[in-house]
Amino acid sequence: MTIEKLSDIEFGEELPVFDPDTGIPNITRFCEAAGWMGARFTDHEAAKKEGLPGALVPGIMSQGFLAAMIHRWAPNADIRNIDTVFRAPLLADQPAHINGVVTDIDEDTGEVEIDLTVTNDAGETRVFGTARAIIQA
Amino acid sequence: MSEHADIDAAKAQFVGQVYDEQTLTFDAQKLAVYATACGESAARYTDPTHEDFQAPPTFPTSLHPGKRLPDGYPKFNGLGMDAGKAVSPIEPIRPGIPITARTHVHDIYTKTGRSGRMVFTVIRMELTDPDNTLLATADTSIVIREKPAS
Repeated sequence: MTIEKLSDIEFGEELPVFDPDTGIPNITRFCEAAGWMGARFTDHEAAKKEGLPGALVPGIMSQGFLAAMIHRWAPNADIRNIDTVFRAPLLADQPAHINGVVTDIDEDTGEVEIDLTVTNDAGETRVFGTARAIIQA
Repeated sequence: MSEHADIDAAKAQFVGQVYDEQTLTFDAQKLAVYATACGESAARYTDPTHEDFQAPPTFPTSLHPGKRLPDGYPKFNGLGMDAGKAVSPIEPIRPGIPITARTHVHDIYTKTGRSGRMVFTVIRMELTDPDNTLLATADTSIVIREKPAS
């Protein structure tokens, strides 16, 4: 179910889990569009030569996943802020899972606060953040 | 004499000082690919023919200033890492419109833990349209786990 208006949302509500595409071909498309081309994002062997465990999902792409997740849940959400912390590298070609929970609702302004966490298959948090979005009444 | 760099002096000298300014124009197709690759599903971000087409909300954090830090900024002794990014969209960023990106040091602060002092520098880019309307701010936090000066 998608959210159309503020009254559809409950405090503590969990957003549907979003598993973004972390594959190298998708990351390459993203990097070309963002002007962030670098072998550490698109080539596992090149990344390992830099001392990394493998190619990385760019942090700015992880942040983009968070916004996309909110719009999949509430298509008309007007995102006002996303604050993201990169705790550990998110590796390309490895599954990632994004969870979100509504932590505050301001009935007067229509602003909703959402805590978001990106984990890997081992359940390790790689990225987390908080978003604020306006949902129409 | 302190064994660490003087944070108060750095704040007094650099916070609030615009050290980079660029004019940028964005391509609709690239904005749409950016959004789609992130898994965005709202047509106002993925379809350049949509009447309200605009850059996806997190796009401003992808923009680099021409200089990472101001000239003369202290070289804190340690390994620097990207600690996080924050974006505040205010008004839509449309393709084909010249956007001015001004960058300044927004804050410098420290945290001290068991492993020593960490210095955080928050770099803020402000994006404005030709009418000087603020469209978005994008913050990048750089953290340096400081080693005492030898």
